[in-house]
Amino acid sequence: MAFVTKMKIKKGGDGHDVLCLVKHPMETGLRKDKKTGKVIPAHFIEVMAFQLNGTTVAEALLGQGVSMNPLIGINVIGAKSGDKITVSWNDNMGETGAAEATVK
Amino acid sequence: MNKTMLIAASSLIVTGLFAAAIKAGSGSVEDEIAAFQGYFNKKFPEVALQDYKDGVNVLPQYAHRRANWEILMEFPPYELEMETAREEWATPFANGKTFAECFADKPPATQYPYYDAKSDDIRTVVGDINACLEANGEQPIKNLKNGKIARLVAAFKEQYNGEDMAIDVSSGGARKWYEKGKEFYWTKRGQLNFSCADCHVHSAGKNIRGDVLSAGLGHTTGFPVYRTKWAQAGKPWGTVHRRYQGCNKQVRAKPFAAQGPEYKALEFYEAVMNTGVPLLVPSQRQ
Amino acid sequence: MNRRIFLKGTALCATGFGLLKSVVAMALEWPKTLFELEDEAEAVKTLFGDTPISESADVAIKAPLQAENGAVVPIKVHTTLADAESISIMVEKNPSPFITTVNLRPGSSGGMYSARIKMGQTSNVTAYVKAGGKVHTASQEIKVTVGGCGG
Repeated sequence: MAFVTKMKIKKGGDGHDVLCLVKHPMETGLRKDKKTGKVIPAHFIEVMAFQLNGTTVAEALLGQGVSMNPLIGINVIGAKSGDKITVSWNDNMGETGAAEATVK
Repeated sequence: MNKTMLIAASSLIVTGLFAAAIKAGSGSVEDEIAAFQGYFNKKFPEVALQDYKDGVNVLPQYAHRRANWEILMEFPPYELEMETAREEWATPFANGKTFAECFADKPPATQYPYYDAKSDDIRTVVGDINACLEANGEQPIKNLKNGKIARLVAAFKEQYNGEDMAIDVSSGGARKWYEKGKEFYWTKRGQLNFSCADCHVHSAGKNIRGDVLSAGLGHTTGFPVYRTKWAQAGKPWGTVHRRYQGCNKQVRAKPFAAQGPEYKALEFYEAVMNTGVPLLVPSQRQ
Repeated sequence: MNRRIFLKGTALCATGFGLLKSVVAMALEWPKTLFELEDEAEAVKTLFGDTPISESADVAIKAPLQAENGAVVPIKVHTTLADAESISIMVEKNPSPFITTVNLRPGSSGGMYSARIKMGQTSNVTAYVKAGGKVHTASQEIKVTVGGCGG
């Protein structure tokens, strides 16, 4: 299953705001499938890490309280034009996703 | 009569006169557009014509919720799907042709829907997408309300974002469809006996069960729409006709068929009323 | 061991972010208990222990006064405090109030955290910023209405 992971970088604060949007169900594990009546298992992103040129600058911990197709944003300081910012995440079922973007 | 009653009575008369001016039929379409847009300009003086592309978000009564939409728009949820939409638009058919080739001789999105004299019919983007598929030996899309058809419409229309709506109503045939759509818009229907105008003209900005009624001006410039509410059920996209059906059901009126004559006429009328409002596709709504 | 590193923010600071990086590589243990606590005060105690907590004008929340849809409520937290180590978001009336937290590398990451969260009902939303050995908070009520015209 492909989990589209997109990034946006724009100037913000003292550096750059980095926003990451992921196509992910963020299932709580409390919903039932209307047709089968069975509980839809919990499936949500647990950890999302942001790196600047390979060094982790922020790490977010997410739970079932975060929305479907979650957006997580942080601010990176000291990024220069040409630097690489990567986001990588893993969920409770062992799925992972990542995206990379270059600072303009 | 005391002053309050006078004001109330005169505003009723103004509304009545306005409704009459709109429905006149003998006046020019330009006059009717001016009357329609002038009404909203008077009702919401802080809102410029171009702002109506943002729908309910520009109304002063929506101020408490506007930040919700503004923050979402920093990275709209629909962006997760637009790459797919553009790919679907660009992928050639089995015979090697593409949608872009079909639409090369069609009007720009700002002139859709348009009146086609040859078929004496209104052509919508949905209709022309399916016509293109059929003309190239592909299966037409059956689901006219959400999913792939909506994504394709979005991929076509977004190329014209920022350009102003300018529907051609000059021919007799177009005028006929315009009048049909206008009649639908101002006719009460359903158990709740509401017309489109009742909610989106007279009551624009008012609350309805925890929502705020959007202004009729600007309707359709943002479609297809990507809705948070529909996303929860796994079908975030909606074409105009999907929304029309929902609205009609909400006033407990019989919904009409998507891409049927009633909704095509209605979409045509609404598009004409949007003359001068820029396209912004897709739109993010709750 | 992972849980202790997460909970004691000072340890994070003292040992440097590099330790967290290697911990990440080892698959950081997700703090399940914290996410399952049903009471915000308990979550606060678990997260911050005895660290002094107070409201601060240096923490701001940008969020709608009224949500359009409780399933997706966008929250942005800003702080002007230097060297913020973590920013956490809690929703008082959610079944599990602790929603999310971000651990920041001071100097490399500015004081901003943006997240789209679920809210079950009208509730206070509180941002907790750990910086300079203290926890600084800001709160805002967000109204959540149910029902309306939908189609």
